[in-house]
Amino acid sequence: MKGHRMDWTIAALLAVAIVATVGAAGVPSWIRYLGQLSTSTALASVGVMILLRAGLLSFGQSLFYFVGGYAVALIARYGGVTDALALVMVAAIAAGLAAAIIGQLLAGYRGIFFSMLTLALSMVMFSVATKVRLFGGSDGLNIGLMSYLGYRPRGPDAQWASFVFCIWVWTALAIMTHAFLRSRFGALIPAVADNEIRIEYLGYSVRKVVWVAYGIAGMLAGAGGALAGLSARHVDPQFAYWTTAGDFIFVVLLSGQASVLSPALGAFFLEILRSYASALFPDQWQTAFGAMMLAIVLFLPAGLDRLIVLIWSAVRKIRALRPHTLERGRSS
Amino acid sequence: MGTLSAIIVDAASFSAWLFLVAVGLTLIFGVLRLLNIAHGAFYSVGAYAAIYAIGASVALGWGTALQLAAALGAASVIGALIGLLVERCVLLRLYGHPEPLVLIATYALFLVLDDLTKMISGGRSLYAAQPRDNLGQIAIGGLQYPTYDIALIGVSLMVAAAAWYTLNRTRLGRCVTAVVFDSEISAAMGIHVGRIKTGTFIVGSVLGCIAGALTAPKIAVSPGIGVEVIVIAFAVVVVGGLGSIPGALLGAAIVGLARAVTAHLMPEVEVFAVYFAMVAVLAVRPHGLLAPVAARRI
Repeated sequence: MKGHRMDWTIAALLAVAIVATVGAAGVPSWIRYLGQLSTSTALASVGVMILLRAGLLSFGQSLFYFVGGYAVALIARYGGVTDALALVMVAAIAAGLAAAIIGQLLAGYRGIFFSMLTLALSMVMFSVATKVRLFGGSDGLNIGLMSYLGYRPRGPDAQWASFVFCIWVWTALAIMTHAFLRSRFGALIPAVADNEIRIEYLGYSVRKVVWVAYGIAGMLAGAGGALAGLSARHVDPQFAYWTTAGDFIFVVLLSGQASVLSPALGAFFLEILRSYASALFPDQWQTAFGAMMLAIVLFLPAGLDRLIVLIWSAVRKIRALRPHTLERGRSS
Repeated sequence: MGTLSAIIVDAASFSAWLFLVAVGLTLIFGVLRLLNIAHGAFYSVGAYAAIYAIGASVALGWGTALQLAAALGAASVIGALIGLLVERCVLLRLYGHPEPLVLIATYALFLVLDDLTKMISGGRSLYAAQPRDNLGQIAIGGLQYPTYDIALIGVSLMVAAAAWYTLNRTRLGRCVTAVVFDSEISAAMGIHVGRIKTGTFIVGSVLGCIAGALTAPKIAVSPGIGVEVIVIAFAVVVVGGLGSIPGALLGAAIVGLARAVTAHLMPEVEVFAVYFAMVAVLAVRPHGLLAPVAARRI
């Protein structure tokens, strides 16, 4: 990374966060709520995106989403902790640890083996979650009101504070992930999809790259699950169900893999779609969802963000070309 | 002694079901090199088709044999139609695309088909146990079993034999094997590769629907039965080696035995038996028991 040049992704992330914070009071609470839910979906989807860059499709990120959500609910209930930031951090660490352990097993698998093993694990977790009494069975658990570094909002303020909290957690984690992906180690992740043997000849361990990518994806999904639990103030075994993991895949498919910002667009779109679809055609939701996925796979496999990136690079190219062409025009 | 014979019969019956569910999946993988998640939806579509066919034939006063024939006929026709549609409209455009993209496409197809069964049935649980009840019970080792379940073992072995015979002893089967080995050379030799692929996919989806149709009299058919099936079928196929029919038979036997043993001796871990068997085999042979050894790509 060249330190003196401005990083547009970080600038854009901060701009979104600041605009959202300042504008939060001005928008209706239901839009704030959708935004809040999108941050949680977006974080988990960033994890799916990282794995997909390595050529690995995980159908099991819902497992860590579940770990994150339930870590918050259980610690708030039995540990009496009400500080949102502490809870999210603990949830992310718990999910990261779980991913590090499972990743040891999965790091040797690729392709459909990886996809189906992650799917199987999340289905095992789901069936455990519906049966264990500590987890509240299929009803799930409720989560009480939170405090934010000593600030204890009540009533309408609580929803506002919760929104701003989610936005900044998302921003902070997205910046960290962006820095990781820009680092030398992060650059190895897409290389796994390209050619594994070449990485090994360069002196890196492919296994370790996949393991780290899986751990980080798990941690992000855990943080996402924690935010989802805090937003809805309720967690249930549906967090672990494979359709939840399918949602993250949809988001990445829709928005593409160009940057850590992309999944946020897809996630916001998904939440809007979900809230409208459940009102307009509640019984055909899966059909609409599946048909959209098929349409994207068939007609725009690179994702919508490719269009933005293409336009942006075209604009920059034109701007970079202009003085050059003028100079050439003068000399000739 | 009673427990042992019960375990053996249960293992055989469960393995037979597993093989029926998995054979279409492994066939499609073998020829088209794609994991068809929509297979779970084919299974539930077949089950619903059988429910309606059996219901109609019972209303017409047909006998047990005709009821089963109607169920299998309806499932096969619908399976063939859906298979043709899916292969021609979706998969044909995705051959050669990255693996995750194809996986997502079949996942999307699963969602759509699963939702269609929900729309048609209205989301209720449906039953069609008449053929199974009519066939009565049979005593093995001092225990009573439904004749239908025992007969399924024979059906499953027949499917295995037919698949083996077709692939190894007929001209068509040799063409399919050639396409699996190298589709470009087969095309050069005059084999219509596209037609072989379409045909295989249709046979695979018909097999998936038939598995659902044969299971329908045993269970309450409700939305969501397809999800579990795809994971279990994958476990079976992976244990034996993806794309191999004898592998599917072996995988079904191992997973069926694991499930039957745990069901009788440790019922609390029965749900996990399938996954344990899969993880245990994959830890020793990462590509399954009967998968050929392949070199790493460079």
